[in-house]
Parts: sequence; structure tokens; C-alpha cells
Amino acid sequence: MNDPTGAAPLLELRDLTKRYGGIHALRGASLTISRPGVVHGLIGENGSGKSTMLGILSGQVEPDSGSIGIGGEPVQFHRPLEAIAQGIAMVSQETALAPALTVAENILLGSRLVGGRFGIDWSATRARAAEVLDRLRLPIDPEQLTGSLSPDRQQMVEIARALSMDARVLILDEPTSSLTDDQVGVLFRTIETLKAQGVSVVFVSHRLGEMFAIVDELTVLRDGRTVAEGPMAEFDVHRIVDEMVGRQGAWAEHAGLERDFSRAAGEPPALAVEGLEVPGVIRGASFEVGRGEIVGIAGLVGSGRSELLEAIFGARAIGAGEILLAGSPYRPKQPRAAITRRIGYLPPDRKVRGLVLGRSVRDNLTMAVTAFLWRLLPYRKSRTAPIVDRVMRTMRVRAASPDVAVGTLSGGNQQKVALGKWLAVDSEVLLLDEPTRGVDVAAKAEIHGLLHEAAERGAALLVSSSENEELIELCDRILVLFRGEIIASVESKEATEAILGRYTGGHTTG
Amino acid sequence: MSDFWRRLWGSTRHFRPALVLVIVLFAVFAATQPAFLGTRNLQNMLTAVAVLWVVSIGMTFVTITGGIDLSAGATVALVGIFIGKMVNYTPVPSWVTIILCVVIGVAIGALINGALIGRLGMSFFVVTLATMTALTGVVNLWSNSQTDTVADAAIAWVGVDRTLGMPTPIWIMIVVFLVALFVQNRTHFGRDMYAVGGSIAAARLSGIRVERTVMAAYAIVGGCAGLAGVIAVGRIGAATPQVDGDLPLQAAAAVLLGGTALMGGSGGVGGTAVGVLFIGILQNGLSISGVQSYWQQVVTGVILVAAVLGERFNGRGRGRRRWFGELARMRPRAGDAEQEEAESAESVGTKAD
Repeated sequence: MNDPTGAAPLLELRDLTKRYGGIHALRGASLTISRPGVVHGLIGENGSGKSTMLGILSGQVEPDSGSIGIGGEPVQFHRPLEAIAQGIAMVSQETALAPALTVAENILLGSRLVGGRFGIDWSATRARAAEVLDRLRLPIDPEQLTGSLSPDRQQMVEIARALSMDARVLILDEPTSSLTDDQVGVLFRTIETLKAQGVSVVFVSHRLGEMFAIVDELTVLRDGRTVAEGPMAEFDVHRIVDEMVGRQGAWAEHAGLERDFSRAAGEPPALAVEGLEVPGVIRGASFEVGRGEIVGIAGLVGSGRSELLEAIFGARAIGAGEILLAGSPYRPKQPRAAITRRIGYLPPDRKVRGLVLGRSVRDNLTMAVTAFLWRLLPYRKSRTAPIVDRVMRTMRVRAASPDVAVGTLSGGNQQKVALGKWLAVDSEVLLLDEPTRGVDVAAKAEIHGLLHEAAERGAALLVSSSENEELIELCDRILVLFRGEIIASVESKEATEAILGRYTGGHTTG
Repeated sequence: MSDFWRRLWGSTRHFRPALVLVIVLFAVFAATQPAFLGTRNLQNMLTAVAVLWVVSIGMTFVTITGGIDLSAGATVALVGIFIGKMVNYTPVPSWVTIILCVVIGVAIGALINGALIGRLGMSFFVVTLATMTALTGVVNLWSNSQTDTVADAAIAWVGVDRTLGMPTPIWIMIVVFLVALFVQNRTHFGRDMYAVGGSIAAARLSGIRVERTVMAAYAIVGGCAGLAGVIAVGRIGAATPQVDGDLPLQAAAAVLLGGTALMGGSGGVGGTAVGVLFIGILQNGLSISGVQSYWQQVVTGVILVAAVLGERFNGRGRGRRRWFGELARMRPRAGDAEQEEAESAESVGTKAD
């Protein structure tokens, strides 16, 4: 990937190694950004060493061996400030902003608030912040409170902060994981703007589609090694997945399973919703999900996807409307009531609401199934062992033992446990909010497979996702929510991302 | 049998530093102070912390759910005044009085603290501080700020007398501890506490009745405080209007020293017992060594910080980590991402098969 002019690359990481105890996080990883104004993709499964590599690049982690070169000059970073001084700034996965401070303060947080003769010169600070936002062409008021911004805007503020440090290389660690498709569009336009200004971007994402949309050159990591690198033109989806997984033909295994769903005649739907109102969020939603059917819900953030699922699960108050479960009326007042009717709910934030991270796999898996026993009943492992055994087997949960804390598992395995909780109670209706958020490509395919299996066993699945691509792959039918109303129902066979994109934006015609 | 010992050792992982400290402390006093190991002295040592022990055990349940009960000291005093009134001015049999003391404690815990915190979702700090303040007022009003002598056989039996050759308070300590251990480890309520402390939202979405769990935890600490109040009155033979505001804080210190996390979700009564023993041994050992026992407070404070710092390195559910290696690399939270990466690298290792 050398520059044809023969000039030294902008940034070069060579043969990095890093060990944590007995674990090699990196064993010979390299990454080269050829020139200014380029978007460099970094991809790899969870545990392939991406975070460690980014940590080294941003000065948070010191490598055991290997070198970092900037414009041909060797450098060493001992702390993040030294990396920033070299023009390398990182925007981490989770936003790190003070919500109660203004946008201007957050952008210039720390010692970079403009000093005046009498303490901080606030008008100069605002002007400086406005300048940076302007450079990004962002219509954000620097005086606004950061906490009042939407998540994508908050991310833009973080990018602005990084940029205000005169960054030449901006690291974006999974910037799209909590954004919707149209917010991703805004982010991409911002990245293009930066590119035009000669800023290079290291872009990390699990979503292959995004890689093809924005990335100019790519590095693939596997087991701590760089296994492929080069201009994006040299890659296609098959090659990337094969390189990540390390097997020829891995792509084919992961590709979507063909499903053909047809509802049994005369059978009442497992879940029927009629004219459901959720005050302030959902207006008159009506739909049905049959046994064995997977129905998706597409929509922008704020369209009411999550709230609809919460309402059906009894975690949110219902205004009017009717819900029928296999033909019999149902009106949940709390999640407990929903569970007794064999409804399961996978929340979008597994680390907060989906799991108790400090507790064991066993405790998490059996939390719902034991919630209805008498509380002073002696707790016996033997009582739950068969269930735990069965679920761990069918879900293919990879854990050393059911007694390890769930927090120590990888993201994909955590998600399987969160899902397995509902398998343990044999849920007949599964409400799934972002079932594959924050898991890698392989785990994602595996979870899709498990959801298909659940449907084949006769469960009715209602899946909400911000990724239209995922819905098309996974579901039989997709409902589109726009500002709390179901404005379309699309058969997956006929759906494309373009069609869904138009609907989710509220365009019901052509 | 060896399996039993291995499991016992495994169950100490939340409070190993405190356990080691207690053993060392015990050994040092045993070696340097001939009087220390005497049966009489050891019994004194234990009875001196009987009230703290019972309150701390109850406090552990609340802490696991993510709170602290600041009103426990006031409950102890209130129950004391109640005993004075009942024994001296009514014909109610004193065993009934003793039961009523526990009932009063449970009621305060469940209906005031537990209801406000569990049902209305108020902050434990605000609620229990308010309860403490209000109850202190009640204690002073009801007692007219007068100390009442309590000369009653049953109350004295609970507080000072001997049963089967050992002071009754020690028997009570043992029973309370074993019952608590059972409830914590062997009942579904016990699992609920940990789930609620770990993540209220996850517990609720799994069908656990979070409100009841929280109410039950405060009811337990209240009941324990009620029982502790009986022991306290029995020990001194009088009901005093002095509220020991320090008691709940000392109990919290013992709980945290015993490895229960302030944020809830981990720990247990085993560690708390060790935490109370630490305070008890230190107090007793120093006083028979002729050192001012206030040093016990200084040392407890220092050790508490050290123990909680140690807890941070052990990390919740993170498996073993090397203490000193961590200390050496103590830098702002870069560690988290690395740790996660390293751990998932581990899980990838098993992925191949």
C-alpha cells in the first residue's frame, strides 16, 4: 500500500505484540495509513485485538514490541496526551460527554477552554467551538446543553472535540453501533468533509455494508495478527468474512438461511394487536404475528419501535387497544404478567437490562424460570441443572462452566445467555429489541440461526432493529413504524434497503 | 471432605484480604498478650460486638441490594425505650415483649424504609436518614430523655446470662449468622437480592418482584436491629435514650470490609462476620495491650480503604487478577477495554473446537 510517489506513509504500526498474562492480544499486527485524507477500515471478530490496537494507537496501551511511525519518524506513546500531541485522537465507542455542560464546554473540555484576563473567556470559548462545528458543517448551537442532543449529535460533538485538538488521524471505534441508518448517513457526510480537509480516519465497525460505503483501505485482524490489508477495491464480502474467520467458504455458512413461512389455516395468531395506543408514542398499531413467524419492525430512532415491544411486555403503560394471545385477551400491567403468558423480551441493552453481569450464567438463565417459585423455597442447583444444561446446549453458549460470571463472556455469548433466559421458560412469543447489537459477524449469523430455530419450534418472533439489512435477512415480513404509526408492511422477499429506507423516512408512496 | 474445604475456601473469595488480616491480628495478639486467648476474654470480645454483629448481618442484606440503613441505630434505641415501658409499666410477659421488639423493627424496615425505597424508588440515603432523625425524636419524646432501669430476667438472659456455659448473646450471634447464611445462599429470595443489586432493570424484566425484595431486605435489617436492641438493654440493664448514630456506620464498615460491594450485587454475610470479628479483635486486643481503644477506629478506617481498593482490583466477576501488577499499572480506565479484549480473546481460544 505504499504511496506511488514513494513518500513515507502517514502512519505505520508494525509488528505489534501485546500480552495480558497468558493471553496474546496481539501477535504481529500491522496497520498502515498511506496518506492524509483517507478512511482506513479496521475489522475483525471480537477478541481479534482491535481494541488493543486502537489502545496502542491512541496511547492508552503500551505494546510489548513493535513500532509506531508517523511520516517515517519512529514515535512512542506512553500516555494518551502524547498521541494527541502527534495529532491522533480517538472517539471511543461509548460517548464520554458531560451531559450537564454546554456543547462548547464539552468540545473544549479541560485546559483548552480559552483563558482571558478574568478567568475563562466564555465568548472566545464559544467562538472557538462554533468554528470547529462550522468546519464539520454541523448545525449545532454551541450553547445547547449536550444532554439534550440526540445520540448521533452527541457523537458529532465528540468528533468535534477530537478535531479541536488539531487531529490528523481520527479514530472512530464503532461509531455507528448506536446510530440509526439515517444518522449513519450524517456521520458519513461528516467523515467525507474531514477527508476533504486532509484528516485521515480509522473506522471500526462490525457492519460490512458500512465498510464498503465509506472505507478506502482496509486492515483485517484475526487472533491478534493482520491477515489482510489493502485498498478496499481488492475486497469483497466473501473475502472479508473468510479472512476474519480464517476459513475458505466461511461466508457461505454464515449467509442467510432460506425460510418459507406460511401460516397454518384456521389457527388464531400467537400475537394479535389491535388499535394499540401507548400515550405519547404509539398511535393505533394493529398487526398479527403467527406461530413460527418472524416479523420485523423497522423505523428510525424515536419512531416507537422499542416502546411498542415494551408495551406488549407490560414494561410500559398501555392507553387503549387490545392484545390477543392465541385468541385470548391479554392486558399486561407488569413484565411478570407477560412472563406468565409465555412472552419473553430481550431488551436492547443487554449489559444493563438484559443481564446481571456479576452473576453466573446459571443464575441469569434461570432468573425468569424461577421467578414464580415461593421465595423462601430452598434454592437447589439440581432443580435447575437440566434446564441450564439444555439451554446452554441448544444456544451453544461458550462458557467454561455455568458458574462463571456472565460479564466475563464475549458479547455474542452474553447475548445468547440473555436470549436463553426466555428459551428456559419456553416462551411462545419473543419480543426482541436489537438482538445482535454489539456482536461480531459470526455471532450475529449464529444468533440469526438460533432465532430461526426458535421460530421453527413454533414461537412467534417480533424483532425490532435499526439495521434494515438485518431485518430483510432475518424476517418473513417487516412492519415499518413512522412517528408511532405503522405505515407499511413489506414482505421480506420484496424488501430492499432502499425501499425500507424510504418508508422509514415517512414516504409511503413510490 | 477435601472437596468441602475447597468449596469453603472458594466461598471466601470476596473477603480474603479481611480474612487474612483477622488471622494475622488474632495470631499477633495471641502471641503477645497472654490474657488474650483466655476463654473469658474471648467471650468478652464476642459479647462486646454482639449488637454490632446482629445489625451488620442484617445490614449485609440491604447492602447487597445496593443500599444502607442509617436508621438501624435509632431502631435499637427505640426498641430499648419500648422494653423499658413494657417491663416497668405493663404486665405483658417479657418474652412477648422480646418478640414485639423484632416485630417493631421489621415494621419500621418494611413499612417505612422498604416501602419508600422499594415501592416509591426514593434514595436509601434520604429515606433512612429521615427515619433515623424522626425516630431519634420519638425516642427522646417517649423517654422524656430519661434512662429507665430494666431489671427483668428474660431480658437479662438475652443480654448477659449464660446458656449451656456460654453467654446467650454468642448463641444468638451464631443462630442469626446461620439463618442469614441459609437465606442468602439457599433460598430464591437470596438470589433475588443479588439480582436486584446487580441490575434492578434486568431483575424486573425477568419477573422478579423487585419491590418486595427491597422491602424484605429492609425488613430484615429492621428485625435484626430490633433483636440487637434487646441484647443492648439486657447488657446494661437499662433503657437509655441515647441513640448510637455511629452503629449503622460501623455496621456498614464491617459489611464493606467483608467484601460486599457498596453498589450491591455481590458479597455476603460470611464476609460481614469476618469484618465484625476484625473490629472486635482489634478493640479487645488493643485494650488488653493497654493501648487506647480509639486506635481501633483509626486502624479500621485505614484498613477499610485498603480493602475496598483491593476489591477494585479483584473486580466483580472478573476472575483472578494479580494485585501488584495492577497496582503498578494503575492508570485511568484504559484497563477496561483491554480487559474485555483479553477476555474475549480467551473465549475465541475455545471457539476453535
